Parts: sequence; structure tokens; C-alpha cells
Amino acid sequence: MSEFVYTAVVSILQLLVVLLLAPLATGIIRKTKARLQNRRGASVVQPYYDLTKLFKKEVVLPSTASWIFRFTPYIVFGSTLAIALLVPTIATPVPFHWIGDIITVIYLFAVGRFFVALAGLDTGTAFGGLGSSREMSLASIIEPAMMLAVFTVAVTAGSTDLSIIVSRLSFTPVSIIHPSHLLAFVGLFIVTIAETGRIPVDNPATHLELTMIHEAMILEYSGRYLACIEWASQMKLFVFMALIANMFMPLGIATSFSFVALAIGLGAFIVKVSILAILVALVESSNAKLRLFRVPELLMVAFVLSLLALILYFIIGS
Amino acid sequence: MFDAQSINLSLEILAVAILVTAFLIVSSRSLLFYVRLFSVQSFLLGLVAVVVATGFGEFHILVAAVLTIGVKAIAIPYVLNKIIDRIKVHKEIEFNLNITTSLLVCGLLVILADSVGKPIIDAQVMHALPVSKVLPESIAMMMIGLFIMLARKQAVSQIVGLLTLENGLFLSGLSITYGMPLIVEIGIFFDILVAALILGVFVFRINETFDTVSVDTLRRLKD
Repeated sequence: MSEFVYTAVVSILQLLVVLLLAPLATGIIRKTKARLQNRRGASVVQPYYDLTKLFKKEVVLPSTASWIFRFTPYIVFGSTLAIALLVPTIATPVPFHWIGDIITVIYLFAVGRFFVALAGLDTGTAFGGLGSSREMSLASIIEPAMMLAVFTVAVTAGSTDLSIIVSRLSFTPVSIIHPSHLLAFVGLFIVTIAETGRIPVDNPATHLELTMIHEAMILEYSGRYLACIEWASQMKLFVFMALIANMFMPLGIATSFSFVALAIGLGAFIVKVSILAILVALVESSNAKLRLFRVPELLMVAFVLSLLALILYFIIGS
Repeated sequence: MFDAQSINLSLEILAVAILVTAFLIVSSRSLLFYVRLFSVQSFLLGLVAVVVATGFGEFHILVAAVLTIGVKAIAIPYVLNKIIDRIKVHKEIEFNLNITTSLLVCGLLVILADSVGKPIIDAQVMHALPVSKVLPESIAMMMIGLFIMLARKQAVSQIVGLLTLENGLFLSGLSITYGMPLIVEIGIFFDILVAALILGVFVFRINETFDTVSVDTLRRLKD
């Protein structure tokens, strides 16, 4: 019985944290950016208002759109929610960690990306196809870089299961920390920026750039479909930040099922994600968007650093 | 004061951070960014020296640490920034080797450095100092510095390459012998400072004479 309660409570908490806090993280990033540019900026809860407004709006479908276009928002939203069940946020181990490990997470992201790219092609507009082709070509460097970075941490912890990685790292943080984690961290941070379409890779704030990637694919969406996709991409950013926060600084995460531990876990998690959000905002404010042909260079940095991280782990030894 | 394990760990982390700055130099095109990264790199190097000095009770290294931060992290970047302002060149346009390939080559260099440095540490296992674990990173730094000088065409980037190489030398000196004797160390610092100044004047003259700071044009110097 207590097993069941644990599963239910932690899973629901897990989902609620990701669903409800993801727009807040985006809000913090926007607010910090505005502050850095000497603007007041919208309130940090503005993304919630945006989402509610979008859900109320009417859906306009292009006449050429097929079922793929209509299903994609739900697939993207669903796959991101599935990832939310697998990545430890405030407590570890997550109850459903037997469903899949880090490789499953990477491929669930790939499912979302695949369908968004298909939907971009589906409407037959020039921009959609452009965005899809860019997204897929960048993904071919992002994915290996991300895999190498997380494998470095997985190798140190001796498991590819995210919950086990985080648990082991949080029980013995000092003895298990390895210099190559630093390389993996930098690699994964660049991957996060690229994967979630932030500056300098993509600009999330505008539809008016010829170099846009993610926005180009979802240009035809409106109403609740757009809300689903926006929410999903906010959750994606959030999950990436949770991944970085808990893999590289697992301090404070709840390892036992009690009210106090969960409260401390939640507090520590919010602090860690806020720090990462501010870091992302700093990177966004201090860099200009890269020309599209320069983006592979940046991703190559992430790839080489992650590769080195893994190689150095075996060379330096533990 | 601290146990040897945590000192070693912090040294290795600092060494890897220094390596990351070297990689970022290779990956960027902006001259100002090179200089800023070099400054950060020297500052981290100074921290390594501080950790070695306090951790192993070799307090004479503190002088070298202060000099590193003062000369390499503050004075030389200041001079280089002045030069960049004067010659009004901020970007590197042409490369002997493009950035993506450069990064891969530098990755290979690190692996090479590790395979060279590792046997040295293993062979010395009885007499090795606890710091010598960062020897592979320092060799990698030297090779990356040399590589920057080969792959870049601008005079300023070549200076940064030379300075990176020197940072690698300092790190390796630190890791093998707790640094060279103080008098030698001070000599090297003044050498480097004067070298940066002279090279700076040089760059300025090259720019004035040829209207470019690409060292390619120097090949045309014939009588």
C-alpha cells in the first residue's frame, strides 16, 4: 500500500512540478533579460497568461494540413510529459524509472522533434520546410554531443538509469566527482541552448528572422495547438535544466519519502533551476545570434568537449 | 590543512577548466574574446599556483601566483586590448584551418598529450609530486598554443597562441617541480611582459606598413 502511495504521490508531484513550474522558468529568463537590457519587462508569470489566452483562442487550420499537423501538438506535449516522469526533479528515485533510462529520454526528445519537423513540412509553406530542414541538420550534431555528455556522467555513476545516477551522485558527491564532469557540463549546457532554441542558436522571441529554426516550423499553428507546443517547449527547457541541475549538482534532492525531505528537495530544486535560468539569460544577453552557418561550429565545441570528457574519464581513470 | 585527495581534485578541475578556455579560444573568431579568455585562463592558472602553494606548503609559489595574475591576467590583456583598439581589427576572417577541423585537431592533441604524459607520471610513481597529475593537461595546453599559432593568420591571435603556450609551460613546471626557482620565474614573467609589449609594437607597425595584420603579407618582405 505504501508502495502505491509513494508511486502516486511522487509521480503526481513530478508531473505537477514540471507542468506548473516550466512557464515560470521561462518567465524568469525573460524577466532577467529585460532587466539586463534596462527594461522593466513583463511579470514572471506572464507565460501563464499567454498560455491561458492561447487555449481560449480559436484554431485556424491551413487547408492543406493533414492529420499529422493536428496530432503533432499532442504528441510533442505527451512525449515531453513522459520525459518529465523519467527525469528526477525534486526526489530520486522516481517511481517510473524502470520505464526507461537516459537513452529513452534522448529518443523521446527525438520523437517530438521528428513530429514537429513533419508538421513543418506538412503545411507545404516555404518557411515550414526551411525550419524542418535546419532543425534536422542541427540535430545530427546536437544528439551525439548530448549523448556523449550524459554518458560521461553515466559512466562515473555506473548506470544509464537517471534515477540511479542522481541517487549515487547525491549520496557520495565528493568521491565520485571527476574533472571530466566539467567538460561534460559545458558540453551539455551548449546542447541545452541549441536544443531549446535559445540565442545564440535560435531566437525564441521573434517570428521575423530569416534564420529562425523552431519558430519557422510552428509558424502555422494557432490556438490550443500553439499553446500545446509552446508549453511543451517550455517544459523541454525546464527538463533540460533539471537534468543539468541534478546530474551535476545533486545537492538537496529528496532521497527519502517524507514531507520534510520533499520540501527541501523542492526548495533546492527551485534555487538550482533559477540559477540556471539566470545563467541562460546572461548567455542570451551577452551574445548575438550566430549566423546559421556558424552554428555547427558552436555545436562542434559541445561535441568535442563531450567527447574529450568521455575519453579523459578513461585516460585519467577514477 | 586539507587532505591530499581534495587538493588533487581541485587541481585537476582547475586544469580542466584551463583546458576549456583553450578550446574556447580555438572556437572563437573575435580578437577581444581571445584576450578575455586568455585573461580568465591566466587567472585560473594563478589559482592553481595558489592551491599548490597553500596545499603543499610551498609558499614561495605564492609570489609566482601573484605575478601570474598581475602580469598575465591583467597587464598583458590590457596591452593587447589597447593594440586591438589601435589597429581596429576585431575579427579573424581567414584561417589556415577552419574552426570545426581545428577543434577536432585540438581534441586529438589532448589525447596525444595524455598518451605522452601518462607514462611519465606512471614511471615516476615513487618520486612523483602529488601535483604531477596535471602534466597531461599542461602538455595539451602547450600543443594547443602552438596549434593556434599555426592555424591563425592574425598577428594578435599568434601572440595569444604564444601566451597560451607559455601558460602551458608554467603549468608543467608547476606540476613537475613545484615551479622553477623564484628568480627564474620572475625573469620569465618580465620576459613575457616585454615580449607582449614588443610584439604589440610590432603588430602596430605591421598594420601601419601593410594595412593588415595578417602575417601572410610578411612573406612578401624581400629586398
